[in-house]
Amino acid sequence: MFRLSLKMTLSRRGRLLLTSLAIILGTSFLSGTTIFSDTINSTFDRLFTDVFRDVDAYVRSTDSVDTGFGDQRAPSPISALETIFGVEGVSAAVGDMQSYARVINKDGKPLGEDQGPPTFGGIASESSAGLWSVEDGRLPVGPEEMMLDRETAEKGKFEIGDSVRVNALSGTREFTLVGIANYGDVSSPGGATFALFDQPTASEFLLKPGFVDAFLIKGDGTLSDEELAEAIDAALPADAKLETLTGAEITEETTSQIKIVLGFFTAFLTAFSFIALGIGCFVIYNVFSITAAQRQRESALLRAIGASRRQVTVSLLVEALIVGLIGSVIGFITGIGLSQALSALLNAIGLEIPTKGLTINTDAIVQTVSIGTLITILSAILPALRSGRVPPLAAFQDTALDTVQKLTRRVAIGLVLIIAGAVALIASINGASVTILGLGVLGVFAGVLVLGPALSKPIAMLLGKPVAMLRGVTGAMSQQNAARNPKRTARTAAPVLIGVALVTAFTALAASVKNEIRETIGSSFRGDYALSVNSRGFGGIPVSVTDQIDQLNEVDQATGVGFIAAKVGDESPFVLVFNPKTSKDLYDLEMLSGKQSDLKKTEILVEADKADEKNLKVGSSLQVTLVDGRSILMTVAGTFKDAYGNYAFSRELFEDSTSPLFDSFVYIKVAEGVNDESARTAISAISSDLGIGTLESRDEYIDTQAAQVDQFLALIYGLLFLSVIIAIVGIIITLLLSVFERKREIGLLRAVGMTRSQVRTMVRWESVITSLFGAVTGVVLGILTGIVIVVSLNESGFSAFTLPIVNTLYILLGAFVIGVIAAVFPAWRATRTEIISAIASA
Amino acid sequence: MSQTTQKIDPPNIAARADSASKIYGNGESEVRALDNVSVSFERGKFSAIMGPSGSGKSTLMHCIAGLDSLTKGKVFIGETDLSGLSDKEITKLRREKVGFVFQSFNLIPTLNAHENITLPLSLGKSKGDKDWIQQVIDTISLNDRLDHRPSELSGGQQQRVAVARALATRPEIIFADEPTGNLDSKSGGDILKFMRRAVTDLKQTIVMVTHDAVSASYADRIVFLSDGHVAGEMTNPTPEKVLDYLKHLGE
Repeated sequence: MFRLSLKMTLSRRGRLLLTSLAIILGTSFLSGTTIFSDTINSTFDRLFTDVFRDVDAYVRSTDSVDTGFGDQRAPSPISALETIFGVEGVSAAVGDMQSYARVINKDGKPLGEDQGPPTFGGIASESSAGLWSVEDGRLPVGPEEMMLDRETAEKGKFEIGDSVRVNALSGTREFTLVGIANYGDVSSPGGATFALFDQPTASEFLLKPGFVDAFLIKGDGTLSDEELAEAIDAALPADAKLETLTGAEITEETTSQIKIVLGFFTAFLTAFSFIALGIGCFVIYNVFSITAAQRQRESALLRAIGASRRQVTVSLLVEALIVGLIGSVIGFITGIGLSQALSALLNAIGLEIPTKGLTINTDAIVQTVSIGTLITILSAILPALRSGRVPPLAAFQDTALDTVQKLTRRVAIGLVLIIAGAVALIASINGASVTILGLGVLGVFAGVLVLGPALSKPIAMLLGKPVAMLRGVTGAMSQQNAARNPKRTARTAAPVLIGVALVTAFTALAASVKNEIRETIGSSFRGDYALSVNSRGFGGIPVSVTDQIDQLNEVDQATGVGFIAAKVGDESPFVLVFNPKTSKDLYDLEMLSGKQSDLKKTEILVEADKADEKNLKVGSSLQVTLVDGRSILMTVAGTFKDAYGNYAFSRELFEDSTSPLFDSFVYIKVAEGVNDESARTAISAISSDLGIGTLESRDEYIDTQAAQVDQFLALIYGLLFLSVIIAIVGIIITLLLSVFERKREIGLLRAVGMTRSQVRTMVRWESVITSLFGAVTGVVLGILTGIVIVVSLNESGFSAFTLPIVNTLYILLGAFVIGVIAAVFPAWRATRTEIISAIASA
Repeated sequence: MSQTTQKIDPPNIAARADSASKIYGNGESEVRALDNVSVSFERGKFSAIMGPSGSGKSTLMHCIAGLDSLTKGKVFIGETDLSGLSDKEITKLRREKVGFVFQSFNLIPTLNAHENITLPLSLGKSKGDKDWIQQVIDTISLNDRLDHRPSELSGGQQQRVAVARALATRPEIIFADEPTGNLDSKSGGDILKFMRRAVTDLKQTIVMVTHDAVSASYADRIVFLSDGHVAGEMTNPTPEKVLDYLKHLGE
């Protein structure tokens, strides 16, 4: 029987091809994201193994705040270097630094993009413990010299002897380029830019005189790394708050921190690959259902000549196994190409992630092929059981193609799921957890999908009405064909439904978030101009620059807002840092209690909902630990309406701190009587000297901030694109099978006078109606999902739902186009139907 | 070898084949389904094409009806030479000038009886002759089942709808391919009587392919085919005469 099913499977190449196509598409995204994630991970693995290859021990401060994306750690005093040198077994030791520094290109613009890889400043030293080696020129000495990593030097076309402007914590300065450096074996780690100085210059320019981030130590070979680390630890004074790690430990820690961040990202990608896979499942299930119905006669014949039910069922499952294996293997291979496309997509929307080479793990192959094969077999189980139940007599009857299905049970199950989902959604609107919200959305989606066959007939008939009116009998037949097999139509439209629902929900969500951003900024920002950097929490506008702008004659007042990691109570949020003295009339926190301008150095402001949650009132105490190691019992001085953060500090708190403080944006109010041109000229003089930051008017700034949501939306659209392709292929496959199934009908129509172009029209409109059925249902579902999510996350910052009407219309238009595109090949096939053989195959 | 058939005055010819050959394959495996066949069918008459399986009778019908093309020779519907027409023109010709009744699967399952009857008209975006259509529907006496789908009709009723569809455009000629092949003898008889009436009373032209002597005896004239050749013909047939002829043909 196995050999028979193998032969039967291979003899039907067309069917084999169609079924595998669905599996290939479903699995290729999974394989693509897996390969992509593996490649990123191994790129960073290799990188940090390379970086710390010659490091035997690593000394750093014990003061740190866990931000959830890795630790932020206090600097260490350079004086500790002497102690470290004194330890027996140490052959070399050097201070290390990776602070914010941005090289300004010759055209005055900063090198690298705002959203690109990080820009660092560091220490170049002759010590063999250092990470950098001189490739060209020499090491920098003194406050006027620097080196660049080779890649940055090439990118900026800098040559030795050039003067290079660099922006860092203490402002922008000009240095002479004296050398080009290599980082281990690579020209630049992960595409980051590096400006390198001698240690005193680096500390003073990038951080704080006398401090470095950490120390790199090389042993003399007499001690193991563990013994060396222990010896150094023992030598460091207890009150220095320093700790020693081995080279392996720091490699491991750095890699795992990066992997946490990458983990979020790859989990995000994986979620979308599973959406694609789920959509693929519908297509696979649909293909098996249709082909099982089409080979009813064949199954019946097998039964008539003595095959058992089991054997018939098994033969179809064997087919599924074969197709599943072939499809998944091909899917895996296509996934390799897809991983490159994914990389290109991220680059295109400005989320550059460094990848080197291509990493293909056996795990990825095993995972893709086993999941692909498994879902194929699972999708085939129901159709296989059904074809086992075919009575032998059916071999001698005409195939019953249009069976009337009982929908009562289906409607009942669908309604139960929708009601259960709705209950969960109502609960989540009233404050239940995000998990409940997710389950509710899932329940409603599942319910609608189960209800699909009950909905598809009436909705397809309704959508087909104008077609029937416009296209006469041809249109009427499209309408009837789309409605004649409600289960098939529902299954074919399901991928469109899911895709459209997700796109609509995300679009609605994005529109609402944008609106929210506009309102939040609109109500808090009272100035005329904003100078902002998009540095993703790393670096920014040095506060000294903010003060410089404030002092301009053309400027009435300028105030900066920045963010810093801190431990507040039991949380580790990014805390908003502002200047209470200058923020009046410029940056309005919309205080509900207390006064913004009265905030003292050791006082904290709390967002109103957060205050309720933590039961904090004006006068309450809150334990705060800062990155620089200070632990302060702060007093709550007021509560404010939701803004960029849940807590706010005064800038004063960091006046004597070793923590670098940057502003992310500076709000500016011009002096009376100063026109736009002279205000811009004056401010630009400083900001362009700085080389970074974008100066925008109030309206421009608000537009730009809201538009950031579009980048995220573009990513989502890109990731859902493959699901759309699968949906199109699903429609193509179903139409092809339907055209094949209705061969005689089409032959008859051609015989009695239907032209080829009328045949095409008929197939095309059936496709459009099917696609639109999915889209209309999906849009409704998507909008409802969007509303529920926005409303139930209200506390987290959303306040109003915005319906993206234009985008919704585009989505429906898109579904129309999908229908037209999907019909092209099946319609062509339909016109090629041989009249004679179609009507003769009685 | 080609046997000449009864001479018909050109204006009275509804359809004809002129030295028609249809050859499948080539070389060793060449099969001549039609070998230099010339035959004409008279307007306003009920003609039958008879012959054993593989005699070429269906192929002849398909080629004259514009469903299939010849390898050599010409076919005409009325005055129109089909060989020079494009697919679009032939389709239009089938829609307007030719009616079809097949052995089975004659109707579109998603359309009701009335829509099936007017299908060729609707495809041509024409309303047709209302009175004529009503007359046809009256003749098949299916007035009460017009809004039923084919699946709700019996086999005999389905064939009656098919004949009505073939008549609806008042075509030059109707081709019927074993129209009673799938029916019991009572329903089959009804269909044949109905076709006879369509010719006698409604002045239509029908060419029917059959291998059944009783069915063929409803026709005015029978053309016998054997091995792709015209083997003979008979006018005013009776079942007995036909059976006798067939016996003779087999010898």
